[in-house]
Order: sequence, then structure tokens, then C-alpha cells
Amino acid sequence: MAHDWPTLLCDNARSGGQAPQPWRAPGKARWQTNVEGAVRGSPVLHGDLLYVPSLAGFLNAINIRSGRLQWRFQAPAAIHSTPSISSGRVLFGCSDGKVIAIDAVTGTKSWETAAQDEVWTSPIVQNETAFFGSADGAMYAVQLETGTLRWKEAVGGRIYSTAQVAEQRVYFGCGDGNVYALDALTGHVLWKTATGNGIDCSPALANDTLLIGSQDFYFYALDTGRGAIRWKYEADLGITSAPAIAGDLVIFGCKAGTLHALDIRTGKVIWKAPTGQTITAPPVVSGSVIWLQAGITFAFNLPDGKVIWRAYMGNSMHSAPVVTNQAVYLAGMGGEVYALE
Amino acid sequence: MDRRAFVKRSCLGGVALLLDQLGTSPAYSQDLIPPAPPIHVNEPEAPSVSALRMPGLYPGRVVEISDERSIVANRVSQSIVRQMIEQGMCELTGEKDPRLAWSKFIQPQDTVGIKINSSGAPACCSSPELVREIVAGVRSVGVPVRNIYVYDRYAYEIDIGSYQALMPLGVRVTGVQEHKLDASGYDPDVFCEANFFGEWDTRSYMASIVSSGVSKIINVPTMKDHSAAGVTGCLKNLGYGTFNNVDRSHRRPFSFTDPLIGIMCSVEPLRSKAVLHIMDGTRMVWHGGPLTQNPDFIFPAGLIMVGTDPVAMDTIELEKIEAKRSKEGAPSVWSRDPASLTNNGGAYFQIASKNLFYRQPHHIAAAGKLGLGISDRKQIELQTTRSA
Repeated sequence: MAHDWPTLLCDNARSGGQAPQPWRAPGKARWQTNVEGAVRGSPVLHGDLLYVPSLAGFLNAINIRSGRLQWRFQAPAAIHSTPSISSGRVLFGCSDGKVIAIDAVTGTKSWETAAQDEVWTSPIVQNETAFFGSADGAMYAVQLETGTLRWKEAVGGRIYSTAQVAEQRVYFGCGDGNVYALDALTGHVLWKTATGNGIDCSPALANDTLLIGSQDFYFYALDTGRGAIRWKYEADLGITSAPAIAGDLVIFGCKAGTLHALDIRTGKVIWKAPTGQTITAPPVVSGSVIWLQAGITFAFNLPDGKVIWRAYMGNSMHSAPVVTNQAVYLAGMGGEVYALE
Repeated sequence: MDRRAFVKRSCLGGVALLLDQLGTSPAYSQDLIPPAPPIHVNEPEAPSVSALRMPGLYPGRVVEISDERSIVANRVSQSIVRQMIEQGMCELTGEKDPRLAWSKFIQPQDTVGIKINSSGAPACCSSPELVREIVAGVRSVGVPVRNIYVYDRYAYEIDIGSYQALMPLGVRVTGVQEHKLDASGYDPDVFCEANFFGEWDTRSYMASIVSSGVSKIINVPTMKDHSAAGVTGCLKNLGYGTFNNVDRSHRRPFSFTDPLIGIMCSVEPLRSKAVLHIMDGTRMVWHGGPLTQNPDFIFPAGLIMVGTDPVAMDTIELEKIEAKRSKEGAPSVWSRDPASLTNNGGAYFQIASKNLFYRQPHHIAAAGKLGLGISDRKQIELQTTRSA
């Protein structure tokens, strides 16, 4: 049984599965395969199946033991969304606004619902409810079992930021430049905090601090209670890369190509690591190693940000890898999927 | 069944333009650039010639609005850019009301494509702030927001620029192709055909969004040096940003951007639909274009240019980039010194005296010869104004 990785950055805490894996450099590719269309979202893993979304509109279920395609589900439009697995279903959004739930084992459709515009965000599941934002400017909450709408809350801009859901609150960034906190039960806006430009970064949560980057070049730490800014940190360009939490550190990339590690309490820089590549993908922390796909695949040493190794594997890669004890699974813009061990 | 009628014109401009270059550009007589092959164009018959067709309503006229507050600490100011665009539109058209200025080009029933330049994202691309103001201008004349497309060739470059999140609600943000080999977004009936270097695929097809998706195009290039074309401005953003398979026109150190850029811009319906050009000069790339991310070569020029004549605008752009390169001690884009050539992309992105190709800035004058606008500097009316 493989280590499960059911949603963006492993779990709803965006931990990146950081705790248990002893790290070792991958020595070889267990298998390599190709799916139809580019892969922009990140794969997820459940049991023996790796679920890989593609811009050709397929959700591909690949057997991780053989690398063979077990089945694929054809969606009506491109899938940018990182899938999310819960209660035996795989949920994902499509570019035509549909959000679809399919059976994780058979690939048959359970239900679908629709927003008014594309859904690139990952549906996040908590308490039998799936939350997702759309480019139509609304956050949706639907029943996990049926897809029936519980509530819909319109905000002031397009939503490409995957929600963070915790303690009955839904946090996300918005194209109107605000960070929002909604009541998870009703959808009512509890607070919003303005930044200097639109946001397509997905937030992370560290206790009562919400961490998120903006296209105004700043990275923000907000108090989850009222949305007050605790500190903000200036990067060289906009920030799309969703942050990863590793103990007292928050790690994120900026589009200027630098990976930043900050102290969550103070915003103080612990280290910065230039990559020479534009970073839009989230970093993944596994033990003492940070994985990052940014054209090249990088492994950094968590304590000091030194590059341990880098590898060019096919086409430019912007999704986040799945890191388990047995293997690392990567997907690329050319539709390549690798299992490294 | 597609009942559109198509004509084939064997565009002999390639040969004719080369002869013209020898006559007008001393630099061309100093190098060994091979002659351009004939370029064949397959295009729909234009039912009528619109007054808006390039060079449009104001041939030879360029309005430049500058304001150093438009870019501060590498951030573009929404409010200052708003003032600049409104002022530029009014000065170009002579109207006092920006809405009336926009209505010279766009009608409520139009489907409008805003052709951005995302190829240098994130460091230098069409500013989302400027594009938002253009969207506002288009909406001001009554175009429904769902009939406005912000587009470019490569979806992943749009993605890096975060345009999806940063555009107003309802605007459609779309890339013609998802990856290098994706041809599904192109019209098989409209193409340019030429064999430059013995390549196996000799056609470049027009994007379907241009041939049949939109009725008007607003072109939003950036102000950049270009390793092959000399500069990339209105013409290159429009021509090479509309047709696929254009990389084949370069093979180091040679490039056939001259005359291919101009010929592509002359193909219908692109020529008729591109009614307005708004050049984003808030940032200027004076070396390393079009893809550089090196901040040493990106200058906060703090200006925008507005016009309908892409040749005149690119002539002014070329003048500005030449001036900046000269000030920085970099060779002219007209230079044909073989010693400046390198095959090392890393060197090109770090050293201003190095280049990958013999640049072809004469593509601008060549486009002028095709009737797309005025390249003679003496005939260009440049109106420079500081933002009010």
C-alpha cells in the first residue's frame, strides 16, 4: 500500500507529506509514461492509482506498480485543477466551469455541478462538503455526496486560488486583490484584507496565521481571526507558488525565480535560493528536502536552501510532485509522467 | 462545409524586398544573409476594404504619453496608466471624451480580441494594468464583457503572467495553443508557405481566433529588443503572434523575420481586424529580448504609444531602443559584426554586446513597402506628451 496523497500538497494542512519519509536521491525511473495533453495541475495518489489531470481533458488513472493506464475519464474540457480524493471519489474542476466527481476505482461519473466560468482550483473537502472557487467570481460549497449546492458567495474578482478550509472557515485569495475568509457553513464574508494586486496563490495555514502571496510582489502573514496583517515580505516579482509549511518555516517561490524560506512568526528571511527559473508551482517539503518543479526539477536542503541536485526531465514542469516512501511521481507540460525511485 | 473563397497570392515580396534592402540599408551589403525564398499566402478574399485596415485611420501618426510615475519599483500604477491611456486615445483621435475616442475603432456589436505579448512573462510582458484599462475602454462603448478576449499564442505564457486571475470578471482569457506542437487552434485554410532552411513543415497557419473568432483586434505589444528581428513591437507581436510554426524562420545566425513579419501582417483578415495598437513602454527591454528575465536589461521607460500605423510605431520604438543601447554602450541592432555573434544563449542573456543572429530591423521598412504603414521618419508625426 502506497502512501496516500489525496489532495494538493498531500492533505488539507498542505503539509506536503513532510513528516515520515526518509529522503534519498532517486536512483532510477521505475517507469515513464505519457498522457494525452499537457499536465498543469498536480497528480494525486490513492492506493495503487496515480490520478493525473491533463489539458486534453482527461483524468488519467495510472497504476503505480506498472506505469500502465488503468482507465481514463474524458471530461468536457481541459483540466487545470489538481484533483482531490475523498470518500472514494475523485473531484476536479474543468475549464468549462464543471466540477465533476468520479468513482476513484472505476472512473465512472458520480455527479457534476457547474459554475459560470472555468474552475482551475482544486476542490477541497471538509465535513462532507466540497469547496471550490471559479473564474466567475464566486466560491461554491456543494455536498460531497451529491454535488448539490449548499451555498455560493460572489466576491469581487476571479478565483484561481485553491481554498484553505479549517475550523469552519474558508480562506482564499482573489483576482480583486483581496484575501477572503468566509463562514464555511453559510458562505458569508467574515473578513477581507486588501493587497496591492490580484492573487492567484493558494494560501497555507500555520496555527492562527494565514500565509499567502500576491501579484503585488508581497508575501503576507494574516491573523486568521480578523485578517490583520502581521507582517509582509517583499519579493522581486509576483508570487503564484502556493507556500509549504515546514515547522517554523514557510517556503514559497516567486516569479523572479527565487525560493524563499521565512520564519512564520516574524517574516524574517532564513534563506533565499535562486533557481534561474520562473517559479509558479508549489514547493513540496519531504523530511529535510524540498522538491520543486520549475522547468527543471530541483531538490533543496531544507535547513539552508542549498541545491542538492537538479534534473531536467522532459518538458517544463509546473505541477507539484507526489513524494512517498517508495517513489516520487512527477508530471510535465509535455504529458510525461515519471515514477522515480 | 466552409464556403469561404480563398485566393492564392504568390508573394514575391521576399525577393523584391531584399533588393530594396540592398538599396537602402548599408548594413545589408556587409553580410552574407541569403536571399529570402518566395512566400506564398493563402487567404480569404476580402469582401471590402475597411478604412480601419492597417495602417488604419491615422497613417504615420504616433502619440506617445510618458509619465515616470507609471512604473515605480517595477510596479505599474493602475491609476496613472488609466490617465495615460485616456489621454493617448483622445490625442490620437482628437476627441475630448475617451468613450468617443474608443468608438472610432470599436462598435457595441464587435467581438474584440486584445492581443497581448506574454512571451517575456513575468519580467516584461503586456502589463495587466494596461490591459485592464483597455478592457474598460472597450466596455465603455457597449461591448459585452463576454465578447472581449485577451489572447496570445501560448497558454503557458499567459499562465506565467497570471492574466487569468488579473483580468476583470467575464473577460475570456485564452491561449491559442497549450504547447509547442498543438495545432488545434489554427485555421487550416489560411497560411503562409515558404521553405527557408529545408524544413519539412513549410506552412504557418493563422490562429482561428483571428480568422473567425473576433471581429476587431487591439494589439498590445511591449517595447523590446529582439535577437532575430531587431525589435519586437506592433508588427512582430501581430505577425508572429498570429501564425504558428514561425521559429523555423530563424536558423543561427540567419533569420527571415524580414520579410516574413510584414507579409504575415498583410494577410487577411488579420490586416483588416487589427484596428488599434497600444504599445506598452512602461518597461523597455533594450537587450536580451524577447525572453530575457535579466533586470539589468529592463529599463522603466514609463511610456505608452498609441496609433493605428504599426510601421510608424515600430520605427519610433526602434529609435528609442537604439538610443538606449547606444547610451548603455551596446552595439546597434543594425550591427553586422560577426564577432558579436554567439551560439551560447547564456552569453546572450548576460552580455549586451553578444547576439544570436544578424538582427533584421529592416523588417519594419519592409512592412511599409507592403502598405502597412509609414517607415520614413521624416513623414512620421510623433506627438510626445507628458501625462496630464
